[in-house]
Amino acid sequence: MTATWAWLVLLFPLLGSLTIGFGFKVLPARVAGLIGISAIVAAFICGILALIGLQGEPSESRHVASSLWEYANVGGLRIDLGIYVDPLSIFMVLVVTGVSSLIHIYSYSYMKSDQGYHRFFSYLNFFVFSMLVLVLGGNFIMLIVGWALVGFASYALISYWYRRNTATKAGMKAFVINVVGDIGLYIAAILIFKNLGSVDYGTVFEKAPEVFTTNEWEIVAICLCLLVGAFAKSAQMPFHTWLADAMEGPTPVSSLIHAATMVTAGVYLIARCHSLFELAPTAADVAAWVGLATLMIAGTIAIAVTDLKRIIAYSTMSQIGYMFVGVGIGAYSAGMFHLMTHAFFKALLFMAAGSIISAMANMQDIDKMKGFRKAMPFTAAMLIIGALALSGFPGTSGWFSKDEIIDFAHFRGGMYDWMWAGMLIGAFMTAVYSFRIIFRILPGPACKEAEYLEEHGHVIHGEPKNPATGELEDTEVGYPGEEHHIAEQAGGMKFAMSVLGILALIGGLVQVPGVDEVITNFLEPTFEDSVFAHMHPSTHEAWVGLGEGALISILGITFTWFLYIRRPDLPVKFRERFRAVHALCVNKWYGDEIIDFLIVSPVKAFGRFCNRVFERFAIDGATAGVAGLTRSAGAAVRDMQSGMLRGYAVLMLFGILAIAIYFLIRSI
Amino acid sequence: MTFDAPTIDYAGLSPIIALTAGLVVIVLAAVFDRVKRFGPGLALLTYAVTAGCLIWQWNADLDLVSGALRIDGLAVTLSLLAVIAAAVSVLLAIGDPSETQAGRSDWLALLTGSLLGMVILAQATSMLTFFVGLELLSIPLYALCGTNLRRRESLESGLKYLIVGSVGSATLLYGLAMIYGASGATGFQAIADGLQAGDGMLSDSLTLVGVGLVAVGLAFKVSIAPFHQWTPDVYQGAPTPVTAFMAVATKAAAFAVFIRFFLVALGPLADQWDVMLAALAALSIVVGNVGALAQTSLKRMLGYSGIAQAGYMLAGIVTATQAGVDALVFYLSAYVAMNVAAFAVVVIRERQTGFSDDISTLRGLGREKPLLAWPLTIAMLALAGLPPTAGFIGKLYLIEALIDDDWTWLAVMIAIGTMISLGYYLRVVAALWMSPAGEAEGDAAIDTASLPPQIAGAQADPFEDPGADRRWYLVAPALIAMAAALFFGVIPQPLVDFAQHAGDALSVWVP
Repeated sequence: MTATWAWLVLLFPLLGSLTIGFGFKVLPARVAGLIGISAIVAAFICGILALIGLQGEPSESRHVASSLWEYANVGGLRIDLGIYVDPLSIFMVLVVTGVSSLIHIYSYSYMKSDQGYHRFFSYLNFFVFSMLVLVLGGNFIMLIVGWALVGFASYALISYWYRRNTATKAGMKAFVINVVGDIGLYIAAILIFKNLGSVDYGTVFEKAPEVFTTNEWEIVAICLCLLVGAFAKSAQMPFHTWLADAMEGPTPVSSLIHAATMVTAGVYLIARCHSLFELAPTAADVAAWVGLATLMIAGTIAIAVTDLKRIIAYSTMSQIGYMFVGVGIGAYSAGMFHLMTHAFFKALLFMAAGSIISAMANMQDIDKMKGFRKAMPFTAAMLIIGALALSGFPGTSGWFSKDEIIDFAHFRGGMYDWMWAGMLIGAFMTAVYSFRIIFRILPGPACKEAEYLEEHGHVIHGEPKNPATGELEDTEVGYPGEEHHIAEQAGGMKFAMSVLGILALIGGLVQVPGVDEVITNFLEPTFEDSVFAHMHPSTHEAWVGLGEGALISILGITFTWFLYIRRPDLPVKFRERFRAVHALCVNKWYGDEIIDFLIVSPVKAFGRFCNRVFERFAIDGATAGVAGLTRSAGAAVRDMQSGMLRGYAVLMLFGILAIAIYFLIRSI
Repeated sequence: MTFDAPTIDYAGLSPIIALTAGLVVIVLAAVFDRVKRFGPGLALLTYAVTAGCLIWQWNADLDLVSGALRIDGLAVTLSLLAVIAAAVSVLLAIGDPSETQAGRSDWLALLTGSLLGMVILAQATSMLTFFVGLELLSIPLYALCGTNLRRRESLESGLKYLIVGSVGSATLLYGLAMIYGASGATGFQAIADGLQAGDGMLSDSLTLVGVGLVAVGLAFKVSIAPFHQWTPDVYQGAPTPVTAFMAVATKAAAFAVFIRFFLVALGPLADQWDVMLAALAALSIVVGNVGALAQTSLKRMLGYSGIAQAGYMLAGIVTATQAGVDALVFYLSAYVAMNVAAFAVVVIRERQTGFSDDISTLRGLGREKPLLAWPLTIAMLALAGLPPTAGFIGKLYLIEALIDDDWTWLAVMIAIGTMISLGYYLRVVAALWMSPAGEAEGDAAIDTASLPPQIAGAQADPFEDPGADRRWYLVAPALIAMAAALFFGVIPQPLVDFAQHAGDALSVWVP
């Protein structure tokens, strides 16, 4: 029965996507939106029913593999169209469908005047379906399929306003970087099949300890390949550059895909393959160190940039860095717990940001925002709740989850103490950048947009411009419609944000050290084979850790208050004084430039070289063709003989020669 | 002295007999004006009878004509693929300028002749039938490429194909001669025996250089890099129905003899040639996929994609196992479906826009004509190897066969090539579905009417057929091929059985 519910979880979003996609001519826009919402809500309900079914089993048999049919059986490779239901996948299903339901409700209002309403909901449902395939898939092939499909959905949604050049470019960039990750995953699956003779989760995880010895190079290679996929999808260094650009997509997309769900797939992957990573501790350490580097570097960038959505995007990278450290050092349930709370407060922050951006007539620069406290009290409150949870203020959900990871690093000691220190510094930066948003856009004299909103009771009408380049936009597809919607005046947005606000505030109470620890207990059947399963800090230690976290969070908030409210001249002076540091951060540590120099330029040069060698003769021929159109067929021969054919002949002879020489050498 | 006439197995020869008889009828029909317009019907009837004979001989496993030909699973399956491709090509050519300008019967006769060459090639077990079949396949094709008499590109491509193809044939013949010199035999089995019997012949420079030259000659035919340069030019220049035939049927037939010659005749030398073929396969995967990225012409892009796909298929031979052959035949069958779907749509679009196959002319097709956009979309996704299409299973099959035989690095190359290929296949899909219609049309279209005829005496004849998307004989192949690419992606077992039938035929020679 559990498996049936899990299949239904997959079915509803797919049906929703297809219904809206094929029915766009007959369905009224509102109906399409409602179908979209109800498909996801139905999936959420089925998820809960699957959860109930699963909890009814005794804890040692809480995993169900179910197969619809044998998809392919070629040679020794057998692939089932199968799912694997265990606490981890159900946990992910609930987070994904739960947050998605709320974001669909938010979008119903937010995208109201967009011309592509049907398309939006069709894509969004398709994304949820793909994400569910990713988390429910029962073997590595299904995982790869889901992995590729979410990449495609993400591409489609980033480039959703496809008349915007910046958006299509950002979509391409995200796609290309994700394809690099996909290659990693592909190779990992090939190596797993080669060594273990199967791609089914159950068989692979069971057989791996028999086949591999700890830190054998092949298992390390497999895990590193998996990590390439995880880093690319979760925007960790050095594959992080696409996420900031992905903010070109509509704000609900940023909230759903690029904060709450898809980008955490890498964390899920490591947690899912924890038995492989425990055989390759080196690879697990790589995951943790990369997570640490990302969380610190992204933190500094978030402090420097001024685009509201990009600040939150860098914060996402940073928080996913925490999760990577968590699952890298063996704090699996803590990592998953942070994944959940992060989904709540980060989705909330993006929603609030969307509301503010609407009020600013689509401008995203926080330099231009001021004094929204009175004009938008609800949004302001939600923004503050989100920022409190993000910075780990005592009592909020982020406080419990983040500090559990930090604490585990200290508990493992040794090298991991360095991680502990780094994460504490990161926590301080988190408090600074989250409250930088608050202190810069909420208090103070109202800016003209906020004033207009207060006086007229509706949003100012700006020119439809691209916030990145200032170009005028095509309102039919390249802009979120003529009207803008703010949470104060749109029921759907208000509802979704309220629910998430409550969850962000109190969602952490499910996992209070020494009190309930619901998440750890729930996930235990999945991680019970882990060597870290029964290693955790004592309740006393956990509370000491929470105390440190609270202290750092309050210190950080106070520091930011001092900087932006008490002495607003200081940040300017800092910037003047440390121009180089500021430039480094604003330019995102030159990540794009480095990748450009190391990878893009050489590839382009290679492409040009190939073009010259393989294509030149053809292009020559085409030019000659235009010039000599009226000549006779005989002339055509002359042209060709003077151009391409000679080149072809040279290359062919070269090839023949190479092969002949190879064989002559073999024969000696 | 008595003379024993060789026994002739008419049943085994029936596909070849049917095809030859059909060819004669088609040629004769050209004389009678009344019958002329039934040409396509006659051709289709011929192919249907041939296919019937092939299916009749499905379980045959015997040598014909004193061991010069052999009808077995491999021959039957790959001949069937070629016959299907030819039938599609006949449908796509109805009303095409290439067919009307060259004369309908002549065009069909050339096509049938080429098909006859393919069927012989798929059955060849002697170097003589091998070469005769190959030339019978090639020479009509050279002419077919040039049948669009008023398009310079068409004439040019025919000529180019002829010259390059001749080099390929010459190289091949040279290689065959060397192998004959080394083994003293022409029959495939006899070559293998001769090489093993001769002292040190397995590592003799004469033998090995011969193997290399034969590989080069065959690599020309299936467009393996670095012997691929003709492919994009000829694909683009040739009339599209001919391109479709060439892309699919030539590959099927040439791979049939590639498999048979290398696994049977040169089987004892497998350790010598496998690394070379693996290197060629890897090079093709890189060159084809990287080359395709920059293309704006859909046919040219399909040409480069064909090079990469040939690289994937060649990997099946590298393993020198039955599993490899199974995977190759499976992939080839899937390749037929996906390419037919793609080329059929290209034909329709060309007719509607007056010979433009630029990717930009596809913009907005998804909204305007979903019936054309879907086959092309599915074809692109299948070529890219995305589930749930036959292309996905095909790639898995190949990768599995490679891993089983410890060619992991080549499997990884296929994976990487697949990922790169998304870059150009999805560009087509994006053009179909994302961009609005009617923006960049017209500029790429070539106004054929204003061009003077390239051959004296031919009449200028502006060709445009706006209603091409409502002609059943153009749309049906696209839809059926799309359905096949999807069906065998979801339920692959029937096609797996089909492919294994081909592999079983070689069970005597390969593990």
